Amino acid sequence: MIALYLPGTSPIHRMPAGPKVLIFMALTLAITLATRSAWALPALFALVVGGYLVAGLGMRDLLRQVVVVRWVMLVMLLAQLVFLPPLVAVANTGRVLTVIVLAALITLTTRIPDLLDATERSLAPLRRFGVNPSSIGLLLAMTITAIPVIAGFAASIREAQRARGVPLRIGTFVVPLLVMALKHSDDLADALVARGVE
Amino acid sequence: MTGHPSIAFDAVSVDFEGRMALRDVSVMLPERRIAVIGSNGSGKSTFARMLNGLVAPSAGHVRVHGLDPAREAKQLRRRVGFIFSNPDAQIVMPTVAEDVAFSLRGQGLARDEVAERVAATLGTYGLSALADAPAHTLSGGQKQLLALAAILIRQPALIVADEPTALLDAVNTRRIGNHLLDELAQQLVLVTHDMRLAARCDVVLRFEDGRMLECGDPRDVIAHYEREHA
Repeated sequence: MIALYLPGTSPIHRMPAGPKVLIFMALTLAITLATRSAWALPALFALVVGGYLVAGLGMRDLLRQVVVVRWVMLVMLLAQLVFLPPLVAVANTGRVLTVIVLAALITLTTRIPDLLDATERSLAPLRRFGVNPSSIGLLLAMTITAIPVIAGFAASIREAQRARGVPLRIGTFVVPLLVMALKHSDDLADALVARGVE
Repeated sequence: MTGHPSIAFDAVSVDFEGRMALRDVSVMLPERRIAVIGSNGSGKSTFARMLNGLVAPSAGHVRVHGLDPAREAKQLRRRVGFIFSNPDAQIVMPTVAEDVAFSLRGQGLARDEVAERVAATLGTYGLSALADAPAHTLSGGQKQLLALAAILIRQPALIVADEPTALLDAVNTRRIGNHLLDELAQQLVLVTHDMRLAARCDVVLRFEDGRMLECGDPRDVIAHYEREHA
């Protein structure tokens, strides 16, 4: 769900991570508040699409982000259709999708260490309240790194279950996935300590 | 081969809530290449994990290169590089170059210097072409090379490798084994089930049921082990 950096020399690639994250936050706020005009959300989505083009990324890169989250979006849409008018449900889902595509644009054009540095710098004032900016930066980086690992666990569990003829059920799938994820987190904690992270 | 700063265990025991993982181990190891062999659950990994303070002794004293892992863990971990058997669990950052660079964080190095050292280290391990590749898409052998690169860029004085070839094929086992045993100058503690690798070390320790049964010439220790497990 979180895209990896694609090297490039576009203005968006060259923009420092700090301002880029600030623009992301401002646009996210605008997307969230774009409820008054029917044209506001499509206009903001068009702006994000423009960002992909300026970054030298193709529509394929954009569509890949949409395809990855399609089931989550579908569940979100269906859940809202139960309680909300169809137009509102579609607009809300569209808002979330636009923010996801925008977030992917940031991670596609920014190296993770640069994002980490920007996060640490922006959180530095919170140090006086006992917040450790390095730990939060590391937490973000490891969250991004863990996604393909957990996806790999899920794939191997399903493969093993298919090989033994076990039908897909939430209980038989989630429990081993949690066990593997917890074991991985233990191993990763040891590896971090061994690499000097306290 | 001797002359390296010593690893010293003095009557060390480790009690994991009633299960004795190590029992009264005493040994002095100045050799460069030290192999640790034994059955699963024999205490090999516990012994290795004590060398950088991942496991603390319940009784006795450990000194590694003059430092006490229990009280000076931070200084010790700067001197000890630890390689685990599962390379996936050692990857912290999303891409190959970022993961190697992560090892240099907090050392106050300039960005250019970090980039230079990362590029040189990736070159040493044949990973230059994969610098921007997602680390988790690498093969098992490449991941273990990445783990080595991430450890060795910190220039540790001691390398502890806990079954580093357990998940590798024959070609990669030979490649990693040759590198660890023949191409590095650092002191090495190699936990392994591969007797061909153990035989190439200067000394072999043999563990069973938490006890260190033998410490001596690789040929003798391996012969005893194989005879008993034939």
